[in-house]
Amino acid sequence: MTWSRAELEARLRQVGAERYHDKHPFNLRMHEGALAPGEIRCWVRNRYYYQTRIPVKDASILAKSPDAQFRRAWIGRIHDHDGRAPGEGGLELWLRLAEAVGLERADVASLRRVLPGVQRACDAYVTFVESNDLLASVASSLTELFAGDIMRDRIAAFEKHYPWVDAEGLAYFRSRTSQAPRDAAYGLDFVLDRAASREDQERCVAALERKCDILWSLLDAIEEAQRRPRLSPHVALRDDDERPGGALAVLSERAVRVNPAGREILALCDGARTAEALAAELAARHPEETHAFEDVHEFLASMARLGVVEIL
Amino acid sequence: MGAPRPWNLIAELTYRCPLRCPYCSNPLDHAAIRDGLDADAWARVFREAAALGVVHVGLTGGEPSVRRDLEAIVCAAAASNLYPHLVTAAVPLDPDRLARLSAVGLRSVQISVQDAAAEPSDAIAGTPCFDRKLALARAARALGLSLTLNVVLHRRNLPRVAELVALARSLDADRVELANAQYDGWALRNRDALLPSREQLAAAAAAVRAEQARAPRPEILWVLPDYFGERPKPCMGGWGRRLLVVAPDGLVLPCHAARDLPGLEFWSAAERALGACWADAPGMNAFRGEAWMREPCRSCPDRARDFGGCRCQAFRLTGDAANTDPACALAPRHALVEAARGRADDLPLVYRGGSSPGDPA
Repeated sequence: MTWSRAELEARLRQVGAERYHDKHPFNLRMHEGALAPGEIRCWVRNRYYYQTRIPVKDASILAKSPDAQFRRAWIGRIHDHDGRAPGEGGLELWLRLAEAVGLERADVASLRRVLPGVQRACDAYVTFVESNDLLASVASSLTELFAGDIMRDRIAAFEKHYPWVDAEGLAYFRSRTSQAPRDAAYGLDFVLDRAASREDQERCVAALERKCDILWSLLDAIEEAQRRPRLSPHVALRDDDERPGGALAVLSERAVRVNPAGREILALCDGARTAEALAAELAARHPEETHAFEDVHEFLASMARLGVVEIL
Repeated sequence: MGAPRPWNLIAELTYRCPLRCPYCSNPLDHAAIRDGLDADAWARVFREAAALGVVHVGLTGGEPSVRRDLEAIVCAAAASNLYPHLVTAAVPLDPDRLARLSAVGLRSVQISVQDAAAEPSDAIAGTPCFDRKLALARAARALGLSLTLNVVLHRRNLPRVAELVALARSLDADRVELANAQYDGWALRNRDALLPSREQLAAAAAAVRAEQARAPRPEILWVLPDYFGERPKPCMGGWGRRLLVVAPDGLVLPCHAARDLPGLEFWSAAERALGACWADAPGMNAFRGEAWMREPCRSCPDRARDFGGCRCQAFRLTGDAANTDPACALAPRHALVEAARGRADDLPLVYRGGSSPGDPA
């Protein structure tokens, strides 16, 4: 049976109550003031990639609608993010936040050193919108229903716990406290009006769940990058007699062949460096390797799966 | 063609064992095979194995800890730059001796349990030993050794897969091997009483997936019984390909059961250099590569992955080791395996006799 308008809204809000990323451990620590400056910077740098995907996603939604009135309303989101002119808009405000936390604007804007897990999460969102219909795509944007509160909490948390971040830098959060509820109200009405069958209603709930999971996995990736890899104490590392410079990592009932680049990475797995710092160090050491930063993260993940590396 | 490089040495130090598990896959006449290599001979085997490229040694049996010279053997393995891994049932090994083995270079230990609780576990082992297994596992972690918990699965313990993983987790094991029984040796005699039902297997596989999703530790290795797969298991990673077995009497084999195959000549490391036993013994070359294969293996796209399955199983079920393993759904004799699945039932188990005679060499 089809849900009533009120019931569908309640179910959508329940999704946020259960899985919106305000409950993610990383976000909780951010708002408690427990993050180190390096962790704040990692979040700001990586979250910028998400910001850049939003107008792309909104353009895709725009292109799905045959209705001029809908398009006139929705295009405002693109203007909000991109601005009407250079130096305006949400992306610009995020780059100012990046500067305020001590990052280089150009470096962040270049999207170098975006974590592979963050990239996957953000790209999955764009792909979801591209491959779903207008209704499900709009439903996936309804995380904005929950964004107003998180922005207000975030401003308060930054002012209280991270005074080293210039207050000017928080302009993005301030802009969203009003934009997000306005956009969410429009999107919610659209979904409640259009989801006519039970099947459509369930698709909308599922789309919102998927979006919440994507935001959650983005923070997972950032949290993971702040952990410290260490060579497992169970590993006996020896030269690979078949490959100069390579190594064999021998452990219980398993031997893993590591090439010279991998060996260089393992040598930095000392339990003191974070995965992000380690990858940045190697990327700086090998500027000719354009994907070194991403490759190091993927390598560490595979070594952790094989038990060669422990992530502390 | 030169012989491939062996990576892993399975050193079967003895066939003696205080346990009497009804799914034992060691040779049926194991009591007649004595411990033929002393610690010095094993040290020579380790040196020669390292020279062939071996990096890891599994010290197994039988029960390797019945050997009084196990310390010297572990020490020799470490001295040859092999990674010494001990496979034990925790009888008679105790924590004090494990500490001594760790001190001379042991890196990791695999402890078998037969079920998730003392009573059913001891019933399968045929001797009370569950509590000492747990004590030894805790001692292994306290010593900083890598710990694997191994469980052979069958229709009596398969419903308790989740409890077995919980047990491994409570012991802080690095890995748990949930290996469905292979029906060779004594296990073939008990096959109808050990084979699970499809429903049991599906439920256990779902439990494994749920436990894998719950936490990254312990690593869970789930080995499907090949009687229920579409394709046979890649037995030993291929005959004489990566894995080298030296039996208690010194015989060099591609797997622990191959000595029972008729007409194959294997050589003994007690009499010849290990490299010659590995590369040149006629038995070792009998099923290397693909030249020996018949149809449907010969033209099968999966032949480089599963190597036609298990030669011992092919012989045991069809009488000819060169046949396609009947576990393969494409095998001409696959009906044998289907019929065996149909006979599986809650039947009494036949236990192995007591431990075999013979003192450490």
